[in-house]
Amino acid sequence: MLRRALQLFCVVLLGVCFAYQPANAQSLEEFEKKVTEFTLDNGLTFLIIERPVAPVVSFATYVNVGGANEPVGHTGMAHIFEHMAFKGTHTIGTKNWNKEQKVLQQMDETYQKWLAEKYKPEPDSARMDTLWSQFKDLQEEAGQYVKNNEFAQIIDRNGGTGMNASTGYDRTNYFYSLPENRKELWFSLESDRFKNPVFREFYKEKNVVREEKRRSESQPIGRLIQEFLTVAYTAHPYGRPNIGWESDITATTIEDTRDFYETYYVPNNITIAIAGDIKPDRAKELAKEYFGDMKSAPEPPPVFTKEPEQRGERRFTIQGQSQPFLVMGYHTVPEDHPDFQALQLLGNVLSGGRTSILYKRMVEKEQTALQVGAFNGFPGTKFETMFATLAIPNREVDVDTLESTILEEIENIKNGEIPKEALDRARTNARANLIRSLDSNSGIAQTLASAEALRGNWKKVFSDIEKLQEVTVDDLQRVAKKYLIKKNRTVGTIVTESEESSEEVADAKQ
Amino acid sequence: MQSNKPLSKNLFITKANNIMKSLRLSVVCLLAILVGSCAGTKQTSENNSQQSQETAAYENINFPALNDFQKPEVETFTTSNGVTFFLVEDNELPLVDVNVNVRTGGVLVPNDKAGLASVTGTVIRSGGTKNISSDSLNTLLENNAASMETGISFTSGGASMNVLKEDFDRMLPIFIDLLTNPVLPKEKIELAKKQQKSAISRRNDNAQQIASRVFDQLIYGENSVYGRNTEYESINNITREDIVNFHKNHFVGQNMMVGVVGDFDASAMKQKLQESFGEIPAGEKTNLDFPDVDYEYESTINYVEKSDVEQSIVLMGHIGGMRDNPDYAKLQVMNKVLSGGFSGRILQVIRTELGLAYSPDGQFGMNSFYPGKFYVQVRTKPSTTSEVIDAVRKELKRLQNEPITEEELQNTKDQILNSAVFQYDSYEKVLSQQMSYAYRGLPRDAFNQYIEGVKNTTVKDVQNMAQQYLHPDSLQILVVGNKEEIGEQLQKYGDVNTIDVSIPEPGEGQQQVVEGDAQQGAKLLSQMADAVISDTEINTLTISGQAMMRGQKMPMTMTIDFPDAVTQTIQGPMGKVQLNYADGSGTMKMGEQERPLPPQSIKAMKSMLNKSFISIARNAGSMNPQFLGTEKVNGTTYNKVTVSVEGSNITLLLDQETNYPDVMRYKQFSPQAGKQVTIENLNSNWTIVDGVAYPYKQVTKQDGNKASEVTYESHKVNE
Repeated sequence: MLRRALQLFCVVLLGVCFAYQPANAQSLEEFEKKVTEFTLDNGLTFLIIERPVAPVVSFATYVNVGGANEPVGHTGMAHIFEHMAFKGTHTIGTKNWNKEQKVLQQMDETYQKWLAEKYKPEPDSARMDTLWSQFKDLQEEAGQYVKNNEFAQIIDRNGGTGMNASTGYDRTNYFYSLPENRKELWFSLESDRFKNPVFREFYKEKNVVREEKRRSESQPIGRLIQEFLTVAYTAHPYGRPNIGWESDITATTIEDTRDFYETYYVPNNITIAIAGDIKPDRAKELAKEYFGDMKSAPEPPPVFTKEPEQRGERRFTIQGQSQPFLVMGYHTVPEDHPDFQALQLLGNVLSGGRTSILYKRMVEKEQTALQVGAFNGFPGTKFETMFATLAIPNREVDVDTLESTILEEIENIKNGEIPKEALDRARTNARANLIRSLDSNSGIAQTLASAEALRGNWKKVFSDIEKLQEVTVDDLQRVAKKYLIKKNRTVGTIVTESEESSEEVADAKQ
Repeated sequence: MQSNKPLSKNLFITKANNIMKSLRLSVVCLLAILVGSCAGTKQTSENNSQQSQETAAYENINFPALNDFQKPEVETFTTSNGVTFFLVEDNELPLVDVNVNVRTGGVLVPNDKAGLASVTGTVIRSGGTKNISSDSLNTLLENNAASMETGISFTSGGASMNVLKEDFDRMLPIFIDLLTNPVLPKEKIELAKKQQKSAISRRNDNAQQIASRVFDQLIYGENSVYGRNTEYESINNITREDIVNFHKNHFVGQNMMVGVVGDFDASAMKQKLQESFGEIPAGEKTNLDFPDVDYEYESTINYVEKSDVEQSIVLMGHIGGMRDNPDYAKLQVMNKVLSGGFSGRILQVIRTELGLAYSPDGQFGMNSFYPGKFYVQVRTKPSTTSEVIDAVRKELKRLQNEPITEEELQNTKDQILNSAVFQYDSYEKVLSQQMSYAYRGLPRDAFNQYIEGVKNTTVKDVQNMAQQYLHPDSLQILVVGNKEEIGEQLQKYGDVNTIDVSIPEPGEGQQQVVEGDAQQGAKLLSQMADAVISDTEINTLTISGQAMMRGQKMPMTMTIDFPDAVTQTIQGPMGKVQLNYADGSGTMKMGEQERPLPPQSIKAMKSMLNKSFISIARNAGSMNPQFLGTEKVNGTTYNKVTVSVEGSNITLLLDQETNYPDVMRYKQFSPQAGKQVTIENLNSNWTIVDGVAYPYKQVTKQDGNKASEVTYESHKVNE
């Protein structure tokens, strides 16, 4: 989500505006006709978009599970599983699955015993050491059966490009593209990894995950965003770090992760979209052949916790060795709530482009901000989310100045100072951005798979655009008054530590 | 937070008809296993693999031939003023995209104006034209879901227009106007410069940014065009005239290539383009001269302190090569063996086998205009910094000393050849590739040549390349990270060169030489020294009092241990803060937490100490004092003496009777203001204890505005 926020900044502020492209109703209808949808008996849904521009195909698998679904004590688990999905299957990445499987089992049992001891009120450190060395031996033994990265290498040498995966709060996705004549390879590999997952190199991979965590936390904005979410949310899992708390990463075992997989990686919780040079009939044949025997399972449980109403403004300050940053957020509504579109357009009117209110005032006129952006849908969109504003001050400006300007403009919105023209412009560009995202195989596959997996219907991608037409200037004013209020607000800042300290020195000394 | 797996950075891709069968090898091996002998296979009978390990399903798939792909034809023509056009029709969406490539770049800018190219690129767009103001242009474009952008990078300039098909005729003249007649107004220039300076002030916030920047300086030299930084000073040096000329000289017909892709009729489009771009003055073709890089291989170990990060960033490498090197294809095969995504050895070893990093990567860079660099980059926890360095070096040597296997070679080739189809998987790519080759002076079939070269590469070639082009014993190593946690790990690689990345302030090192009466100056300064320190040796001084900052009273104590140590305690709004400085390093303690002071603060503390009147008094003999006459302040006439401390001038106004320095003035850089400011200290209520005089009231002004006030209650000498 950080990336999304920053992208937004790039679009708005650095002048590298993405090309806005048109989207009239006609072209959207045309597009809808190209989509073939089918669901296998086990509940797995496929979307096929035939687009024979070049002999290539893009694949996107969306699983309707993310950080928000993790059990207490196991933050980071959705992400660890995502890494595991690259470790191979019973036949890929192993020299002898039968033997490897047994060692992995023993290894996990030993780790569980070590954990049990570790969490005792008075752990026996000698026993912990013994268990740990047993665990290390078993880990090494299991390692002997591993064929490193074989799964990814098969894709590499078949010309696969853009291979990647990501874990968000709302969903986990897996994607890559292949030359069209190798599409069957994707069906084979993708069905195999989700039918026969292995938890190969599980504990070693956790170290890789820890490095990933350090990488993010080594950046000032990474620390700010993480702190911001933990302050803004008290109950809902959007407040937990997606990458996981260090102690939770330690506490998570293969068995825990397997339970998680068995609950959520079930056919009715997965959507697959395929776009490019592929015939829908052939895709259907292959889908049945490879995914037909994936076992159906009950609907995964919902997320029960709702964020309680906030009772007062929350603020925090990080003293850091970095130039200042400001982030503000207000609790709002999930994507399928009727107010979502108005909030989305409000974000665009405030900061979407060079004509937007905040850009014109803060970046161009008063020159207080290097960058500023506001949007609804942070850190996810499936659950009650936030209307967030991020701002980076210019050199001689402190974060308080930015905050008061933004608040002033929000007040102006509440007083009804929104030109109809600005709203229309925001709509035009939202529509254009959608079409823009549909101009490549991978963009199409991901956009449609996401809507189908998270919201139950890919057509919402297009109906949302229609809903934007119904939003009025009064709606913008109304949602601003309803959600953008002080007691519903969280404000986080980074202020520069070195500046403060050297100033104090300067004052006290001659 | 999203977390991604690494993507392979350099995917080399080609035309559809170059696809090769990729599973040849595994199928061969499979057959061999069935007959009981496959040399080199990892599946040995010890593992009982034949009995217990079933074959993976994917191995039984037969791939059909790739569907035929008609690569679109690019139509090219040139107008009399030198503009070359490239056209491709694409009717999928009712849009037209225009991309203009301009022969220019930051490389043409001298170091003292670094940033000129980029500011020019920004202001062409942001300033609008005489016919349409910036605001009107923004509104017009956003109302029509259109965009126009301009920019200038280090090696090229560019402009783009993306519009709806039906708006094309209306927008094209505006686009041409923007390219040829931009206003380049002062206020937009100032805005762009301000934004550049804000970016400079933030460049040390991110360890990754520091690492890339410093590594370039190590490879190319910090004063070379390739390694230099854009600084406050170089941005300040940029005038509107520079910008006007930079635009005028380079945005001319002879320098332009124009690519158009989208929904249009080619012959009508050709007509429109000829008419509109034909107006642009032909001008002179820019001589885009890239200075040679004179690289000497050497082993160095370099370190940049960044105490607030949880990882070390390790960058190691040396100079790379040029794109037109005949060994290009072979080198890129070697490159991919070493660092090609999940299959590359660096990722295999560092991430998968050792679990030391999330996304190690590397590249043997080969640029078109000047030599690229060879590097491997790894981010790892501080305690495994040297383990990573050693592991990487070992991999480089292994590539030199052991031939890779035929299987590894084949897998690497398959990777390149099978993904070649993605090179031209959209009309935009076909177009931009051809323009890019033309701009870089590469033959049109450069990609096909590369693919042929890859096919012909042998195991021996890869080893030869590694031996010829890699220098694992002459690597420049750079580590950015946390000194305390890294400890002594770097010492074994040689004398560690610690690099100061603090941002140079404008005006630094440009002290004006002040000439006055040196003899009188020396006499007056000596009188001041005697007045403030009479008949005593001062070794330590402890003062305590109250500081007033921003309307808040904060008790403070300070002990100076001359010549170069200070401890200061302030009871601030956030609790007690203790700063310790001694001999070039320092810490800050808040509550139970103690951490090192950032270099900027250390510099500030040291500077404050040296500029204090007691330090000046102690060193009165070596201050080059100059008497400049008298000055009247608030009705009192003072003797005006300047002294030189750390290369900058301090003006002292000495009371004619007491000889105390009642006023002290100097310039210093303010990070908040981003410029030099004048600091003025007003000292009064002088009190003598044990022969040392101290002003019990000190008011500090910055550019004439009161910044703080301190009152003291006591001072102690040598206790």
